[in-house]
Amino acid sequence: MLARLILYFAYTLKRSPRYRRTKLFFYDLLENQDSQIKSYFDMFMICLVMTSVLLLIYEVNNEFNQLDIIFEYIIIALFIWEYLLRVWLCNDSHKIFLEYYEKTRYLNIPFRLRTALRLVFAQKIAYMLTPLALIDLLAIVSIYRPLQILRVFLIFRLLKLFRYFNNIKLFADVLASKRFELYTLAIFLGFLIFIGTISIYLLEHRDNSQQISSLFDALYFTIVTVATVGFGDISPQTGGGRLVAIAMIFSGLGVLAFFTSIIVAALSEKIQEVRDQKTHSELHRYASFVIICGFGRVGQHIATQLEKDKQRFVIIDNQEERIAKAKRRGYLAIHADASRNKVLKSAGINNKATAILCTTGNDVINVYITLTSRHLNPDIRIISRANHRENVKKLYQAGANDVLQPFEIASLVVAEYVGQPVAFEAIVGIINEEKNFVMETLCVHSGCFLDGIRLADIDFAQRKLMLVGIISTHALHQKHKNRYALKDQHFYFNPTAAFELQAQDLLVLLGKEVSIDYFRYQIESSRPKP
Amino acid sequence: MKQIIVFGYSVMSLEVMKRLNSKQHTLLFVSESDEEAERIIEQGFNTTVIDFRNDDELKAIGIGSSADIIFCFYPTDSDNVFLTISARALDKELSIIAIVDDPESAEKLLAAGANKIIDPYEICAKRTHNMLTKPDVTNMLDNTVFGQHDLNIAQIEIPKGSYLEDSKSSDLGLAEKYNLILIGIVDRELGDALHFAISEKKHILNAGDVLVVLGPSNEIKHFKEAVNGGYICWN
Repeated sequence: MLARLILYFAYTLKRSPRYRRTKLFFYDLLENQDSQIKSYFDMFMICLVMTSVLLLIYEVNNEFNQLDIIFEYIIIALFIWEYLLRVWLCNDSHKIFLEYYEKTRYLNIPFRLRTALRLVFAQKIAYMLTPLALIDLLAIVSIYRPLQILRVFLIFRLLKLFRYFNNIKLFADVLASKRFELYTLAIFLGFLIFIGTISIYLLEHRDNSQQISSLFDALYFTIVTVATVGFGDISPQTGGGRLVAIAMIFSGLGVLAFFTSIIVAALSEKIQEVRDQKTHSELHRYASFVIICGFGRVGQHIATQLEKDKQRFVIIDNQEERIAKAKRRGYLAIHADASRNKVLKSAGINNKATAILCTTGNDVINVYITLTSRHLNPDIRIISRANHRENVKKLYQAGANDVLQPFEIASLVVAEYVGQPVAFEAIVGIINEEKNFVMETLCVHSGCFLDGIRLADIDFAQRKLMLVGIISTHALHQKHKNRYALKDQHFYFNPTAAFELQAQDLLVLLGKEVSIDYFRYQIESSRPKP
Repeated sequence: MKQIIVFGYSVMSLEVMKRLNSKQHTLLFVSESDEEAERIIEQGFNTTVIDFRNDDELKAIGIGSSADIIFCFYPTDSDNVFLTISARALDKELSIIAIVDDPESAEKLLAAGANKIIDPYEICAKRTHNMLTKPDVTNMLDNTVFGQHDLNIAQIEIPKGSYLEDSKSSDLGLAEKYNLILIGIVDRELGDALHFAISEKKHILNAGDVLVVLGPSNEIKHFKEAVNGGYICWN
C-alpha cells in the first residue's frame, strides 16, 4: 500500500512541470556555475557568514543580547534550508525509484520497497558524506554552544566560505591532482618524524628529563624542528641529540622545498585550465559570436575587422605563441586543436556560435575542421580558406558555405588595378566601406510599403540612393532581362521601371550609410506588426 | 599595349598572369633559374632568366625604356624592396606593384618607391569579413563582377570633342539608354578623387574626366564607342 502511494507520488513528480521548474530555479540559485543569481546568492551568503563570525568574536568576551540571538537563529535557519535544498538537488530520487520499479516489472521480479528506498538513500548519503556537505552540516551543528568541545565546529562556519569562493575549490583540486606525490611525501615525512621522535627520546630522556619527559615531548620537539620553526622551548642538551636535531633541520628543509615545488607545479598546470574555463564562461554570456579557427595572418586581420564591428568572436589555435598574441590584444582565445569535436562543442558550436571561419594556412586542416563543424552543426555558416585551387571543391564537399582563396582574390585585385585603377578603387572602396559609401541589401518584408510596388513609383534619387539591382527567388520576375543566376536565386541588374517588387526580394542599394539606414527604418516601420 | 614584367615565382604570379588579358598587355616573366623558367614556359608565358640584383640586366629587359609596369612577387620582402629601389632608380615613371608578406614591410616598400602594395592576407581577411557581414552583396559581386557572369565595372575617360563634354552628370540617363549604372565620376576640376554619382554635387563633364560604370561588357563597349565618336579605344 505504502509502496503504491510512493509510486503514485513519484509519477506525479515526473509529470509535473512545476516541480521541474522549481528544481531548476534552485539549481540555478545554488549549483549552476554559469547562472547570474548564483553569484548574487554567493555574495549574500559570504556577507552573512562574515557577520556571524564577527558576532562570534564579539561573543568571546561579551554576552549576547536578544537581537544577536535572533540573528544567530536566522543564520542557522538559512543554513538548514540551504543544506536541505542541496541534498534535494544532488539527484532525482523519483527517477531512481521509478527506474528500479520499471526494472522489476520488466524482469518480473517482486518489487521490494526496502531495496528501492535503499537505492534512493544510498545516493543521498553519498552526497552527504562529501567534504563540502559535511562542512555544511557541521556549520549547522555549531549552534549548539553549551558543550565546550563543540565550539570547534564554529570553525566550520568559516570553512563554509569555501562553498562560495570558486577559487578555493581550485586549490582543493590542485591538491587532489597531486595525490600520489603528496602521499609519497607524507610517508617520507612520517618516517622522518617517527625516527626523530624515537632517537630524541632515547638520547635525551635520561639526561634532559625536565624538557623531554615523555614521548609526546619528543614528538613535539621533532615536528617543531622538522618544520624549521624552532620555538626553543625545548632544546637538546646531549651531543647526540644535537646531531639528530641538525639532521632533522636539513631533511626538514628538503621536505618543505619538495612540498612547495609540488604545489607550485600543480598550480601552474591548473591555472591554464582555469583561464580556459573563464573564456568559456565569458563566451556563454554572449548572445552570438563567431569562431575563428587559426590565428595566422588572415585570422588576425579578420579579428581586427570584427573588433571594429563590435562583433564577438573567439579564436582557436593550437600554437601557443599565437594564442599569447591574441590574448595580448585582448581577444578571447582557446589553445586547442580545432578539429576535435570536444573543442568545438565546448566553444559553443551548438549554442550561440553563428559562423565558423577556417583560416589556417593548411588546407588539410581546413577541410578537417570544416567537416567536423558541419557534422556537429548542419545549419552553421562555414567560411573556409583554400590555399590551393584544387582544394576548393573538397572544401565545398566537406560542407563549407563559402570558400575563399587569398591568392586568387589578390591576383584579381592586381589584374584589375593594372587595367582600370579608378574603377577598381571604386569597387574596392565600396566593399571595404572606405569612402563612407556602402553597398547593402535591404529586404522587402511582406506587407511593408514596398511590397507589390513598381520600381517607377519609388523615388530612389530623392532618397539619395542608387538601385543597382534586385536579388530574388521569385519566379514571377523571370521574364525580366539582365538576369544573372546566383547560387539558388537570381540577380536582376538595372531593373526596368515596370519591375514589380515581391515580398522577400532583396534590393541591392548603393548610398551613404545614413540614407540606407533611414530607408531600412522606413521599411521596418511600415511592416505590419505580427 | 602595356608591357608588364613579372618578377618572382609564387602562387600569386601565376594567378595574375593567367588573369591578365594577353591581347591588351605583353607579359614577361623573369625567372631565377632555368628549371623554374621551363615550368613557366610550359604554361605558355614568355620567360627570361636574369639576376635581378644586376642593373644592367634589368635595363636589358626593358626597365627604364619599354616596360610600363613591374610586379615584385618575390616571397621575401627584402628581395621586393631591393628590386623596387633598383627599378625606381632606373625609371621614375614606372608603375611598381609589390606584394608584402609582413605588414611592417609595407611602409618600407612604399618608401622604396612602390606605387601599390598588395597584402594577400589582408585582402582575403576583408573578403571573409564581408562574406560574414554582408553575404548577399558579396555573393552577388562574386558571381557577377568578379566571377564568370558578364557584368563588369569599367572606367571610361572622356576624350576631347566627345558629345558628352559640357553635359551634366545627372542628365546622362545611362540606365535607360545603355543599360549601364553610373557609379562615380573623377572630376578633374576637383582633383583625382572619385565622387560617387549619388552625392549632391552635379558635375559638368569635361575632357579628361573619368566615368566609372557598371554593366554588361557589350553595353560598355557600345557606350565607349559612342563616347569616343565611333572609335574603340582601350584605355
